[in-house]
Amino acid sequence: MLELYHWEPNGSWLKPLIALYEKELPFRSRYVDVLALEQYQPGFLQAARETQIPLEGEGPVLIDQGRQITESLFITEYLEDAYPARPLRPPEPLLQARILASGRFINEVLMPAVSTLGCRAYLVPALQGGARTALATHLERMPVAYIREGWRSALNNDYPAELLEDSRRKITLAVTRLEEALGGGPWLVGASFTLADVDAFAICNSLPGLTPDLVNAAATPRLWHWLKRIRSRPAVGRALACGRGGHPEQAFAPGPEHSRWG
Amino acid sequence: MLTIYHWEPNANSGKPILAAFEKGVDFESRYIDMLAFEQHAPEYLKVNPNGTVPAMVHDGVLVPESTVMMEYIDGTFPGPRLRPDDPFERWRMRWWCRYFDQVVGPSISMFGWSFFVGPAMRQRDPEELKARIARIPLKERRIAWSKAIYGTFTPEEMAESGRRIAAGVAQLEAALGERPWVAGDSYSIADIAGFNMFAGLPLMNPQVANDSATPHLMEWLRRINERPAIRRSFALGRTELVRRHAHLDRTGPAHA
Repeated sequence: MLELYHWEPNGSWLKPLIALYEKELPFRSRYVDVLALEQYQPGFLQAARETQIPLEGEGPVLIDQGRQITESLFITEYLEDAYPARPLRPPEPLLQARILASGRFINEVLMPAVSTLGCRAYLVPALQGGARTALATHLERMPVAYIREGWRSALNNDYPAELLEDSRRKITLAVTRLEEALGGGPWLVGASFTLADVDAFAICNSLPGLTPDLVNAAATPRLWHWLKRIRSRPAVGRALACGRGGHPEQAFAPGPEHSRWG
Repeated sequence: MLTIYHWEPNANSGKPILAAFEKGVDFESRYIDMLAFEQHAPEYLKVNPNGTVPAMVHDGVLVPESTVMMEYIDGTFPGPRLRPDDPFERWRMRWWCRYFDQVVGPSISMFGWSFFVGPAMRQRDPEELKARIARIPLKERRIAWSKAIYGTFTPEEMAESGRRIAAGVAQLEAALGERPWVAGDSYSIADIAGFNMFAGLPLMNPQVANDSATPHLMEWLRRINERPAIRRSFALGRTELVRRHAHLDRTGPAHA
């Protein structure tokens, strides 16, 4: 049976949950309390050759036949390749290419920006008392440098002003592109709901609360209705109900690195 | 009709070219001279508004992103498969492509630009360079070109890139010790992407990539370098860049 290690249904953790429910694939949910740093406790999954280098920060792990599969968009692509029934990916190579290209932009531009602002808004205040002490003791043992620095920024709440400003610029750019892309129809790629929608929705679902001046019914009407349309899908409702905190859209942990230069 | 707009047949430009040659797909080659900034000229921006190279147009439709172009070529045309059928190996192929594109590649090109593009650029008229930079459409590319042209990478940035290259080499060496190709038992677009990135490394950073420290990586580079598709791609180059492959010839001088 498929197993999914995941935290609250937001960001990278939300994507495979939506894909699994949409495809009606039975799976065992392994809830990982990322805020309690369960992923760094002894006895947690021993990383494999590739999965020892996470490329999108803290994120989900799918286990299929003993093999670890990571990187949220690529987990959903894997599910399409391995379990093609109830497809979320159209057969045309051009549309498949557009899903991958959209995913690259979301991963490289939007995810780091939303993660930075989300960590500052929600992770910083969540790091109080015991969580704070636990993080301070774990920090030096975190093996991946950019993730360690992400946690350290949240602990010290010392995000540089330029980084916050650049994150807003990236969100503005991405939101503008998405609003344009939705001018051609109800979904991002082709005529039906696809992995591109799953990928972008999981990152955008927090934006009405996080950056209400950038995403709202008046400024971004198409994006606004697209978010509502996706939230009303039964499978998405089931995925969003997998959380334990009541506000999955406020669950943030360090995400992908901002690209170092062009 | 397939048209590929490319610079020298290595790095990102080499990806769709090699995928097409491996599949035996005919295409029209359009050389874009990046050192003459042809990629930011109005005629090219009509083809690709982002002003990035390569670009690929199939039957009038632009296909984005060099790695995605390879997936598209493999999915569209007949010929030898360039993506594993096994879903797990296909996932591994995508993992490596992302690792190359977003972590190792930018670090290698920081070195390449510092030592090759930057010095060549600084021979030019400063006012002309300023104007060239100003018309680059994407902010990220504007910053990148300006850093490369004026050589303003900090020692810390270069050191960090050096660490990432070394880590990438170690990761690839370990993987190639476990299987013949990056994703598994068959040659895939992850090998093309990796070769385009690492082919010049034994020359540029011989202390990191060499026969004693990284035997599997060196053997893998030589094996790919012998493929007819690589040989054919050389003909599309116009500069000395393609000569950088001489160090991979088994019959050539041991170390040039």
